[in-house]
Amino acid sequence: MTTTDTTTVETPSAPRVTEEELARRARRSELTSRWFWRILSYIAVLAIWEFALLDIFSFLRGSPLDPKLLPGPSEVVSTFFEIWGEGTMPAAFQATLTRIAVGFGLSFLIGAMIGILMQSKWFEGFFKDAVLISLSAPGLIWVLITAIIFGNRPLGPTIAIILTTFALVTVNVSEGIKALPKDLLDMAKSFRVSVFKRNRQIVIPHLAPYLFTGLRFGFSIAWKVTVLTEVFSSSEGIGFEMRISAVLFDMSEFLTWILAFFFFALFLEKVVLEAIERRYFRWRQAVTAT
Amino acid sequence: MAEIRIKNLHKEFGVGSDKVVALEDVNLDITGHSFVSIVGPSGCGKSTLLNILTGIETPTNGTVEITSDGHVAAPGYVFQAARLLPWRTVTDNLMFVQEDRSDDTKKRCQRYLEMVQLGDKGDKFPGELSGGMQQRVGIARAFSIEPDVLFMDEPFSHLDAITARALRRELHHMWDETKKMVVFVTHDVGEAVELSNRILVFAKGGRLEDDIQIDLPFPRDPADDEVAVAKAHVLRKFEELDLLAS
Repeated sequence: MTTTDTTTVETPSAPRVTEEELARRARRSELTSRWFWRILSYIAVLAIWEFALLDIFSFLRGSPLDPKLLPGPSEVVSTFFEIWGEGTMPAAFQATLTRIAVGFGLSFLIGAMIGILMQSKWFEGFFKDAVLISLSAPGLIWVLITAIIFGNRPLGPTIAIILTTFALVTVNVSEGIKALPKDLLDMAKSFRVSVFKRNRQIVIPHLAPYLFTGLRFGFSIAWKVTVLTEVFSSSEGIGFEMRISAVLFDMSEFLTWILAFFFFALFLEKVVLEAIERRYFRWRQAVTAT
Repeated sequence: MAEIRIKNLHKEFGVGSDKVVALEDVNLDITGHSFVSIVGPSGCGKSTLLNILTGIETPTNGTVEITSDGHVAAPGYVFQAARLLPWRTVTDNLMFVQEDRSDDTKKRCQRYLEMVQLGDKGDKFPGELSGGMQQRVGIARAFSIEPDVLFMDEPFSHLDAITARALRRELHHMWDETKKMVVFVTHDVGEAVELSNRILVFAKGGRLEDDIQIDLPFPRDPADDEVAVAKAHVLRKFEELDLLAS
């Protein structure tokens, strides 16, 4: 490290470029091989499911399994397009996503507010156990309670989402505030940087990764809880559609909904959230890359 | 021209039996294009003095005036760690402490980055730079607001010897070029002798024990006889103080 540093003082960057280029190439080849194994795992699972799973299950049951109860991926995909053509899928997704957006939006605000309040000793004492319970209790509990109390009214899922996810946001916000970079704030103060600029350029960027972690984990739980509430107590949405196909023993349709659910979650995680991460947390990747 | 006037400065911490005197009746004038090093053993009050000069702490008694041509002087700071915003690029870190975002300001920031040999690193994030480069950005940031006085608190103590040496050379060059006053706190006597034209030696209990002028030409090579003699002189002073203290 030292030698590179002093070389750059005298000869600007000539040997550096190749070093960076080498590192980039190494990273690229590692990425390619990782993707190769990832795709291979999909192919393997799909192949076993299509060609061997029915026989395996028949063997395990001790009697032949009705192929209708375990359709292969090719059939599920064709059912997927059928349902897609009928137009029920976008409507179901819209219903589910609206619930998540409202419920988790509120939960995020409430969670962040409690996180800020918990900086005071008294409020910390007041909220501490509630946060702990929310973190450790299985979401199913709230789903059942709200289903019993609210039936199929829209408030049920909203409250279930808030109760299961607010604590994740609270914990992250609270930790972020506790870890505020005092040395940077002092630096800014001694350079007479205004309070507004200090908040905008130090406090918010510092809290952003904490908020983002809360958002990410909270969202993944909100998603599962919402679908669960729909299974129990709703008349629209992805969970509702799953319940209907399960009741009708329509395995192909049931798996289609699971497939759609899975793809959508993957899309959110890999495309939307990672794009946000790349855009706003480029500096962190810079840190880990060196 | 910048001027620092310290009169009867006294600083205590705590009360009753816990009372600790950090600085005792310090009188001091620093003027113009000086490079003043403050040296002394740990607990001699050198950090306290810097904190009072920079306004982080207030004196118990006495006055401190930092002026430039009759106005309140604008200070710049270099800290022990670089203290850069990790989520801002190098250029944006310099822009962060500026009052405006005009083209002139941007050009000035770029000029100081070039002065610390980082003219091509403006778009990098601090995490992509080595420790020495980060500290250089911190130095460029302090110079970029064109302060009347620069306060530096052991800015090279976290760096390895070779990097620190290169940076000392750059700092001397910048001091020479910009004609700023520098107040430099260090525990490294060699560093103080290499850089300063005046060394203030503080003893335990916060007394200003010695005020040494060093009128050797720059750049100073530590291997040079005269520089070695000056260093030995300051070190001897240190040892005497140590004996008195124990």
